[in-house]
This record gives sequence, structure tokens and C-alpha cells, in this order.
Amino acid sequence: MKETGLHELSEKLIGSEIKAELLRLFHMNPGILDTVEGIARRVGRMPKDVEAEISPLVEVGVLRRERFGKLDIVSLNTGKDKEIRDRLAALVKGDMEG
Amino acid sequence: MRVPTGISELDAMLHGGLMRGDVTLVVGSAGTGKTTLALQYLVNGAMKFNENGLYVTFEQLPAQIYRDAASFGWDIRKLEAEGKLRVVCTSPPVLAQFVEPRNPIDPIIEEVNAKRIVIDSISHLESFIPASELRSELYRLVSHLKMKELTSVFTSESHEVFGDRLVVTGVGLSFLVDCIILLRIVEVQSSLKKALTILKIRGSDHDKSLREFEITSQGIKVAAPFTQYEGVLTGAPRLSLSEQRFVEMFSKASEKKR
Repeated sequence: MKETGLHELSEKLIGSEIKAELLRLFHMNPGILDTVEGIARRVGRMPKDVEAEISPLVEVGVLRRERFGKLDIVSLNTGKDKEIRDRLAALVKGDMEG
Repeated sequence: MRVPTGISELDAMLHGGLMRGDVTLVVGSAGTGKTTLALQYLVNGAMKFNENGLYVTFEQLPAQIYRDAASFGWDIRKLEAEGKLRVVCTSPPVLAQFVEPRNPIDPIIEEVNAKRIVIDSISHLESFIPASELRSELYRLVSHLKMKELTSVFTSESHEVFGDRLVVTGVGLSFLVDCIILLRIVEVQSSLKKALTILKIRGSDHDKSLREFEITSQGIKVAAPFTQYEGVLTGAPRLSLSEQRFVEMFSKASEKKR
């Protein structure tokens, strides 16, 4: 992941209501391993809306998207997720101090 | 070779536990305790028998499973952190990929070194696969689990809460699995009780009695058989008169006449 500032990173992570819902869903349920359709059902949204919000989270590295047969399966990238949370915390700290 | 569930009375009924590598179907209507029994099997495996497990759920989110399990004193998050148990929440199309050479479930089984697996519930998978392919697809899944030497438990929803009509599954899954445990709600003396029985185990004898069971703060506890009743499986049992009891009642009636 390229170096990004606090604003850019937080925008990518929680720049929309659906993104925040997705992050909450995966953090509370790290064992989710599902298609976009399945994830959309779990947050009570339409697949096309969830699809649009998942891509930035995959790009940042919080979520992992992998192709199995005909299915794209999304899951929490646990290792990367922790790294990003630590980085976000450091950026927030730096922003408050600076 | 037996795989104990860790529910001592049930293991006694099974003559030691499930058979290693077998597939067991736990059938019951809503609220009978299928998920509790299945989770208890995995938790006991991880905590008492050094056998790690994988729990696959379709509808219930892991957070709900963590919360429900905590009410029995089972810390699933801790077992996950220790690498002894894993909860996977997915959809039927993803599980259907399980039989493909490259699938998302195999790496988790290897990572956890799972010996036990629960699929909760197989009814969701049944609703996804076209009826014409259902039996062959379920056969493929059962075979795949056996090839992986996993001792598997499927839960299955039965729609009949009461009544004398009992359909275990609609697609002949009962012929594909090795063991069937039936959970049922029954009315006894104007109270609802839970009954458990083992309908079959392939290649082994088993206790054929109908047992009352309770969901306690430690999980499922199987109690004594319903010896004084018959017709328990219909959901509305009636008192059965044992020969001795009949003689006692007859004697009392004769004494009254005198």
C-alpha cells in the first residue's frame, strides 16, 4: 500500500455509510467468507451498492477478494487489517500532536 | 474408533461416541437445540479431546454464535485465537465450491488442522441446489468430507414441531449419512419437554431409547428415558401401563370394590 495521509486513508476506510457498515460487519464477524451478494444480504443493502464500496476496502488491504471457480469471495484480511488500524491510530496521534 | 461428543449420556447412547469419519445428521425443529449440540461437539473436541474443529454457518453471524456460546461458558473467540476452532460464516454457493480442487474451505481446514466439522444447517444448502441435482451433490459433499477424514455433523431443520408425521429430510439425505440424531419437542403433562433419540448408526449398535434432555447453563444434558410414556415421537405421548403398574392399579381398584 502506498503511503497515504490521515484524510485519504480515513476517506478510503469510512468515507460512506456502507463502508462503515462493512467494516463493522467484518470486525465483529471476522469469519465471514462470502460473495458480494451474500455480504449485501448481511448488511441489508443492494449488491451493486456494496460492490462499489468493497473495492476501495480491498485496495487499502482491509478486505481480501479472491476468485474461486465462478465466485469472487470476500473476507477480512486479518494481518493487513491490524497493520492498517495501527497505522490509522499513529496518523490520528500525529495529526493531534501536529 | 469413536469420536466422543463430550456429552457423556449421549456418548453412552452412541456406545462411546460418533464413528470416526462418519457424517451425522442432527434433525429437529426450531428451538430444539441443534446448534447447541453441534457447538458443544466442537467445543468439547477442542477443549477435552485435542481435536480442532470448523463450524460453518449460513444464517447466524459469528458475533451471535460467540454471544450464545458465552451463555454456556464457551469462549469461542479464545478458542479461535488459540487456533483450535474456527467459525466460518458463508453462503450455500460458497460451500458448494468445497468439492472443487481449489476452494476457500480447504486452506482453513489445513490451517486449523480440523478433525471435526459442523455444517449448520444443511437445509440451507438444500435450498440452493436444484432439486434434480440435490442428492448427487450431497453425496459428493459427504464423500469429500469422508476423504478428508473429518467427523462431520450436519444440522437439519424439520418443519414438524408436533404431530405423528415425521420427515427427516426430503431428499434421501438420511440414506447418505451414517448416523441420525433426532431432537423433538413433546408435550408431557401440559409442559413442553425436549426429547432425543438416535434413529440410526451405520455399522454399530446404539441405545434406542427416547431420552428427555435439557439445555442447561453448561449445554445439553441428556436425562433418563421416557419409560412411562409411549407415542413420545408423535409429540403428544400417553402414559403406558407397565405390567407391574397395571397389577398395582388393578389391586387398588379391587380393594376399593371390597
